Amino acid sequence: MNYAEYRDFSAAVARRHIVFYYFGYFSQNIISAMAEAVRLHLERAELVASTRRKLFSCFVEMAQNITHYSASTLTAAELRENQLRQGSVCIGVEGERYYLLCANPVAAENAEALRAKLEPLRSMTLDEIKQAYRQMLRTEAPEGSKGAGLGLLTVAREASGPLEFEFVPDERPGLVMFYVKATI
Amino acid sequence: MTTETRDDLFIAASASSPEVDFRFGAHALSLRGESYPENAAAFYGDLVAHTRAYLGGLEPGRTVVVDVALTYFNSSSTKMLFAWFGALNEAAENGVRVVLNWRHDADDDTIQEFGAELHEEFAALEFNDVPLAD
Repeated sequence: MNYAEYRDFSAAVARRHIVFYYFGYFSQNIISAMAEAVRLHLERAELVASTRRKLFSCFVEMAQNITHYSASTLTAAELRENQLRQGSVCIGVEGERYYLLCANPVAAENAEALRAKLEPLRSMTLDEIKQAYRQMLRTEAPEGSKGAGLGLLTVAREASGPLEFEFVPDERPGLVMFYVKATI
Repeated sequence: MTTETRDDLFIAASASSPEVDFRFGAHALSLRGESYPENAAAFYGDLVAHTRAYLGGLEPGRTVVVDVALTYFNSSSTKMLFAWFGALNEAAENGVRVVLNWRHDADDDTIQEFGAELHEEFAALEFNDVPLAD
């Protein structure tokens, strides 16, 4: 990319009102640093406190999901500390609302299980989401979870509408790209 | 030295974990800051173990003051905090007086709602909702 192309690229980012984008490896330290950058932006943008908190909460859950579950990993699958996994996260503004988008590859055979978790959330009311959250709080973390099984419920709770998600075939065999979008 | 005495536990805050100041000798436990460690199960599992060991040695009637001022906690921290309050509640059911000061920004609905949930679920805790004005 030469200077002119970079200028076009930057203009396209500005036109789309992208306020934050990162593609690369996610570790806990990287997330903390990004969290600082995101928080700085949110404070400068003078959003109401509840919107700021929801955006921040969604950002952390999405970023930590990548650290825990992306199929593109530099560290061993069973490791719980010092993990490094690849993905991307984006924060932008559409009309009056902020949204977050994240993407990471997942094993194709896990896509159905993820879809089965996400699809029901789309038709739930906020009260139903909160009820499901309360229930999950009191149950053992599901097998394979590195959190509490509460991450996606938290993202759904912070969103103002149904979560959007998509699985897209990847050129790497056995993998699909997993996208989630939450509008706050 | 009484059987109630044990070493205090202090862990300085990091960018993504809260300050832990458990003064077992003074029967005052405090958590403050933000909580989104990579491995909340390990971080809080340790705190729960220390707290249980401390509570196990207490005489009934003893008062323990728990001060929580967390400004943000992620989903896996929420789950582990719930377990920690469960351990405190068990001791309270067995005759220890546990006072929980739940400090939060007055306009933080999520943290206030979680406090209300703790109050409802862990009825043996003496729950004080402490909203702080900005």
